[in-house]
Amino acid sequence: MSQPFDKELDARGMNCPMPLVNARKEIGKLQPGQVLKIMATDRGSVADFQGWAKIAKNVELVSQETETIEGASIYVHYVKRTN
Amino acid sequence: MPETREAAWTPEDLLEKLNQRAKFFVLDVRNRDEFERFRLEGREPLPAINLPYFEMLELGGQDEMVDSVVACVEKELAAQLPRDQLILSVCAKGDTSEYVAQGLRRLGYKTIDLAGGMRAWGEYYATRAVIETPALAIYQVSRPARGCLSYVVASDAKAIIIDPLRHLQPYHNLLRQKNLTLEAVIDTHGHADHISGGVALAAETGCRYWLHPYDAIHPMDMLPATIAYEPLRDGQIFHVGNQQLEVLHIPGHTLGLVALRIGDNYLFTGDSIFIRSISRPDLGGKAEAWAPLHAHSLQKLSKLPDSIIILPGHFSGLDEADATGLFAASLEDLKRRNDGLRVLQQENDTGFVRYLLESLPKFIPEYVDIKRVNAGLLAPDEDAASTLELGKNVCALAQAYEAKSGAVR
Repeated sequence: MSQPFDKELDARGMNCPMPLVNARKEIGKLQPGQVLKIMATDRGSVADFQGWAKIAKNVELVSQETETIEGASIYVHYVKRTN
Repeated sequence: MPETREAAWTPEDLLEKLNQRAKFFVLDVRNRDEFERFRLEGREPLPAINLPYFEMLELGGQDEMVDSVVACVEKELAAQLPRDQLILSVCAKGDTSEYVAQGLRRLGYKTIDLAGGMRAWGEYYATRAVIETPALAIYQVSRPARGCLSYVVASDAKAIIIDPLRHLQPYHNLLRQKNLTLEAVIDTHGHADHISGGVALAAETGCRYWLHPYDAIHPMDMLPATIAYEPLRDGQIFHVGNQQLEVLHIPGHTLGLVALRIGDNYLFTGDSIFIRSISRPDLGGKAEAWAPLHAHSLQKLSKLPDSIIILPGHFSGLDEADATGLFAASLEDLKRRNDGLRVLQQENDTGFVRYLLESLPKFIPEYVDIKRVNAGLLAPDEDAASTLELGKNVCALAQAYEAKSGAVR
């Protein structure tokens, strides 16, 4: 089940827009083909990462998952740098 | 957080500005589908641009949000954003809108943002007195963003609540402020567009919840409701203090719809007669069977005294409010200006039923689930409940929703 990734970003507890702003910065530091895993508690991040991946030139949304840790939902996004 | 936190409009401020027809321009940075489903609407069309914040990030191309806003606005939006008008920055929850406002201010735009975003606006309740005397007080409790109306009827320190909405705090607050003891909670029908607070409010206050038994069956699933309710019946009288509310069974929008009448003075019409138009007959999935019932019920209501004040269950636009922000009008007045009542007076039964069936707005798929929730057949968590209720009600005929959007992009 587990999606491989190269770097992890913990954006739990951050409000919009910071999970996406920080993910965008981290993606810029990766090599093409590498995957960033982002963990967020902001539910809005699910639709936002989908929307962002559609319009951003060099990212691909590989998958999204929702994990439940101690009763709280964690929204996990895997984003690949494409070039 | 941005460097400085300037004042933001609260939902209450926003409602006041909308009611005053204040001129401002909306920059909404939510996702495009969220904007399509639920946007700010005023008494007049509001000029608005929707540009999701992540598109601003990409268009601006800077690392930080505020810097990207500045670059994006300079490159892409300068021609569309007015220099001489206040810009209201709006997002989902009121965080990103601050960054956007910060960027716009850096460029010299007059800007304010909406505290709590569209979530807070969607969940904001306003209370206005229709009448307030010791013998009779009626409070209209509205959820302005959704166009939902509910009522607290009080007499001699006793109260009945009609069609309470999902969030119960506004009712608890009002009961406490006015020193009222709640005696009954009534839903005029099984709602499709919003989650009723009726069952929960009755449970929290220890009083009974009333619903017509025909609406205790989901009209599509044909499953009986699992909620606890007392059955309303036509002609039943509720006593509250020294006032009486009479139940009128008026099937059409639902099979179990009732109106509640206080003598010749007030008529709580639920989803039958609204201000601008009338309700749709198709939300149970049986428009052709229910439309003739609806026609018959509306005929019955239209024969009530002309001076009776109509207090509806919904509005479709803030422009339907009177100068004080209240959604109320006499039957006589509505016979002149309500789209549906005008046609009702002009057409015979067949012609009116045809008008109803030709005036159906788009069916909202979420409404099937909302009816399940209200029947106790489905129990969403807070996020799911909020998502089901997103946007304005679409309980009236199609004409009520025309010419409301001012979106320019």
